[in-house]
Amino acid sequence: MKIFGFHLMPYQGLPSEHLDSTNSSWVTLSNAEFDPARGHELYERYIGELIAYDRAGLDGVCVNEHHQSPYGMMPSPNVIAGVLVPQTSCQIAILGNALPLRDHPLRIAEEVAMLDVISGGRIISGFVRGIGAEYHSFGMDPSQSRDRFYEAHDLIVAAWTRPGPFEWYGRHYKFRYVNPWPRPLQQPHPPIWSPSQGSGETVDWAARNRYTYLQTYSDIETVRRVFNGVRAAADGYGYTLPPGQLGWALPVCVADTDAAAEAIALPALDTLFNKLIRMPKDLFFPAGYTSAASAARIMASKGGLGSGMADVRDLVERGYAVVGSPETVRGRLEQYQKELGFGVLCPMFQFGSLGHEDFTASLTLFAEQVMPALRPLGTA
Amino acid sequence: MTAQAMAAEYVNVRNIRIWMAHGGEGQPLLYLPGTAPEFDDPALSLISQDFHVYRPHHPGFGRSDEDPAVDSVVDLAFRYLDLLDALGLDRVHVAGLSLGGWIAAQIAVLAPERVAKLVLVCPAGLRPPVPVPDMFTMDVVELAMLVHHEPQVRKEAVANMCDLAGDTERFTRYLRSRAATAHLGWNPYLHDPKLAGRLHRVRSEVLLVWGAHDQLLPPECALAWQQALPRSRVELIEEAGHRPQAEQPAAFAALMRDFLT
Repeated sequence: MKIFGFHLMPYQGLPSEHLDSTNSSWVTLSNAEFDPARGHELYERYIGELIAYDRAGLDGVCVNEHHQSPYGMMPSPNVIAGVLVPQTSCQIAILGNALPLRDHPLRIAEEVAMLDVISGGRIISGFVRGIGAEYHSFGMDPSQSRDRFYEAHDLIVAAWTRPGPFEWYGRHYKFRYVNPWPRPLQQPHPPIWSPSQGSGETVDWAARNRYTYLQTYSDIETVRRVFNGVRAAADGYGYTLPPGQLGWALPVCVADTDAAAEAIALPALDTLFNKLIRMPKDLFFPAGYTSAASAARIMASKGGLGSGMADVRDLVERGYAVVGSPETVRGRLEQYQKELGFGVLCPMFQFGSLGHEDFTASLTLFAEQVMPALRPLGTA
Repeated sequence: MTAQAMAAEYVNVRNIRIWMAHGGEGQPLLYLPGTAPEFDDPALSLISQDFHVYRPHHPGFGRSDEDPAVDSVVDLAFRYLDLLDALGLDRVHVAGLSLGGWIAAQIAVLAPERVAKLVLVCPAGLRPPVPVPDMFTMDVVELAMLVHHEPQVRKEAVANMCDLAGDTERFTRYLRSRAATAHLGWNPYLHDPKLAGRLHRVRSEVLLVWGAHDQLLPPECALAWQQALPRSRVELIEEAGHRPQAEQPAAFAALMRDFLT
């Protein structure tokens, strides 16, 4: 199994008036609440934590893109990847650049190629649509999101692989000259990953292109159903899905005992799932972001992530996070791997309000007492 | 006169099927609904006593087909000129509500000779001179609260929207219209910065109708329209918000009749 340490870089230090309210943490929460001096301390700490993943012997680190929210301070994951390149020797997975938000996808082709060449070929390039709220933040018509995603992807891969210059006249993007310098070091291009919450269209797209499919924030039954969907889609495209093409990203917390791990993790998960992800459904799923049929199902359902009303203990029991002693975490992840067959794990050791010392202790216990048992799994 | 029965059917317009109700006695009136054409318009039966009304679901909305050629209100206005051709209508009155008002004004800009008289009811299309709420951040119930002022109509509309989520077919159709609205009006928010500079091309008389308590596009928006259309007249409907056709159907239909006949 390949293990990549994930980090969201959440802003810490929001006033309790916001945390205890039901107000959105996206789009409309004023950036007057962002204290740049506090932000500086947090960036230093979090960059150190990403470097700690490398030092602890993980295969790679994961950074990602989010906008206008304390949920994560990485509007540009490529900037953080650039900071990490000279300070690490592991792979760097950008999970991912939100393609449809850009009017100029060639900029993504250029930046990822730069990072790949500078890092000596250590970049994994994730591509995502961006979450619904970001269509508000970027003034981008959500009804065109999926179409723009596909076309931007096709353009970037063409820009990396076809000798330029060539013309591109698509529905959404038009260029007289596609000819980015530099080209990526990895050939034919850096590995592409597809992080998703499990939409049927994305599952099919990832399987068709043989990209690593990465499931985020889900209960274990959803993970099982989606992974089976990816396998079935691969079968349909005439190949057997290797474990390395299935990944799972989730918060993980290890402490000396189950009780100690819960005491650390539950309040931090509450911050993550009930305060930082919190937003109205019409921000989460703006008009046209999903098909009308999916939207009708989503809008009619009560609760769910983003509503601010999740019972975090229940979330842990359902597999949204793995929390416990080294024995417990090892046992659960071994069991899940056996049942679900994934070959990539992206544990998030910092989440929500979790502090640096707890992070360090959790990562150290994981690296020393959990990771060795996971390594041989999911390699066949 | 008595209320006229309306027929509804698909009309083929350059291989796009447009769902359209039509009927009534009198001069032809292209009557363009707002962002949710699948909901009933209580003024329709009154208006059809005086006019032969054509009320389409915009392409991409309600029951009409997706139209890959439509990415903007300008595109939609061209498509409605195709519809007039398909119907063999040379010159018609055009009335538009909300989003439909924006489309109606755009039709009159593109083909002024085809518009006899123009009625714009709480139209979108010009940048509001005052801050306005963002309909795309609201759920269906919040939006129903916002667009109605008349208490009884608002209460019924809210109840209707609360029930909507339980009726998958109707809800899906509504969400389809909402996505199509986003495609036309997400950014810039419900307006076209170039429209004001083109409205001088409109040749017909123009009536602007506004609900006195419209909170989605407040009556101050009428000032922007009057600046661009100096010969237009404004009528405010009291005890109405953004949907005067539903909140005060009789007063609304009377204004239409007086202006158009």
